[in-house]
Amino acid sequence: MAELLRVVLAIAAKDARVELRSRTSLLSALAFAGLVLVIFNFARDATAVSAATIGPSALWVTVAFAGTIALNRSFAMEERNAAIEQLLLAPVSRGAIFLGKYLGNLAFVLVVEAVALPLFVIFFNLPLGGAIGAIMALLLLATVGFVAVGTLFASFSVRTRFADLVLPVLLLPFLLPPVLVGVQATGRLLAGRPPGEIVGWFRFLAFYDVAFVVTALLLFPSVVDE
Amino acid sequence: MTDAALGSMAAAPPASARLIRRGLVITVIGLVGLGLVYYLALVVTPTERWQGLAQKILYVHAPAATTTLVSFLLTGIASVAYLWLKDPRIDAFAESSAEVGLAFGAMMLTTGPIWAKPIWGAWWQWEPRLTLTLLLVLLFIGYRALRSAIDDPEERGRYSAVVGVMALVLVPFVHLSVYLFRTIHPQPVVLKPSEPTLPWEMLRTLLVSWAVFHLPLYIGFVTTRYGLARRAQEEAAS
Amino acid sequence: MNGPPDNGAYMVAAYVVIAVVAVSYAVSLWRRSRRP
Repeated sequence: MAELLRVVLAIAAKDARVELRSRTSLLSALAFAGLVLVIFNFARDATAVSAATIGPSALWVTVAFAGTIALNRSFAMEERNAAIEQLLLAPVSRGAIFLGKYLGNLAFVLVVEAVALPLFVIFFNLPLGGAIGAIMALLLLATVGFVAVGTLFASFSVRTRFADLVLPVLLLPFLLPPVLVGVQATGRLLAGRPPGEIVGWFRFLAFYDVAFVVTALLLFPSVVDE
Repeated sequence: MTDAALGSMAAAPPASARLIRRGLVITVIGLVGLGLVYYLALVVTPTERWQGLAQKILYVHAPAATTTLVSFLLTGIASVAYLWLKDPRIDAFAESSAEVGLAFGAMMLTTGPIWAKPIWGAWWQWEPRLTLTLLLVLLFIGYRALRSAIDDPEERGRYSAVVGVMALVLVPFVHLSVYLFRTIHPQPVVLKPSEPTLPWEMLRTLLVSWAVFHLPLYIGFVTTRYGLARRAQEEAAS
Repeated sequence: MNGPPDNGAYMVAAYVVIAVVAVSYAVSLWRRSRRP
């Protein structure tokens, strides 16, 4: 167990190191998130639609799209120089490799969200007040699940033609449940409803996370083993 | 031209050729059966009093919808089986059922709004069943795109099977989340498609149509498509 | 308000669509079976 954890963290740390050296993809993803928020602001008629009405949608669409474009990167990096082959030759379990890549992606997307959320608050000028903690918990729970699906899909979509197209088309249907729940719950929180009212939605996201992390973990060996 | 055709026919292994021929025969039976459904639905069955002639769309829409769902379900089950057994025949079936499902999905997604416009007063409602089926059709378009973007047949089988299994896991979550969505967003007042027990003549037409869509039409399409997929596999192997 | 509503055109459209999709998919399969 400790050995597994060590391998997982080593792989995730490797990805983080690569990321921090170039910073290109992280900066691109952050710029992308900012741009989606900007476009969202101008995609509404400010006289007819209040920021509070469109705010939850803007936040979750930004997160969904930024997460999707961020995920291609993790295995594209491994395909270069056939690095994935070396990784698979290492005497560690497939599950550990998946969890390592997953953790790296999760950290990446969470960093993007950590920047997108303050930008969202500033741009949309919304009084978050006490809701901020609950919104962060929602983002975390939603991200844990869809990044698992995205990591699994990215592991083979990079090996196809049109990888940039295949991943979003496959992944977006899986984003529907977390985005739908996220938007509804955020809307309620911004309207000043108590977090206790949306416990059911937290539970839903938790089920989603467990189901997809486990399924992705079980399916990953089928992707990489000939 | 004829020589080339003859040459390839002679070279084609008999198994897939026989499948294709049988499939086409069953398909023709299915199309004749569809003609019978049209006769029953449009001529024999009485017109419903409140919904008028548009109610008759039900006789082809509902069978198209269930056939779509069964096609995708069988692709999902075949995906699980393929990852376990790694038999290329199972992959050929998964591919075939997914494509046939898209054909039925096209019928479902066009006739649904055509029925809804006069009955509900709107082409589309974000109702759980509609949302789920639309999302499944979109997902299986992605499944098809994925398949066509991979050259190696073995890789194609594994990757698409992974998507097939994930789709099975996704269905309950989409259904539940859309249901949650509905409970907080009350539906606009629409003429609800309340389902009174159908009179026997209507029920009979519906049952015949169901049988035609699920049996000869689906089986004919899938057998032919499976034969084509097998032929491609045989040719790749030789 | 007496007779059923007049919406036969929708019915015709739906039945035409079903026939077109079913027949054209069958033709597509047949053509693929001819062309190896």
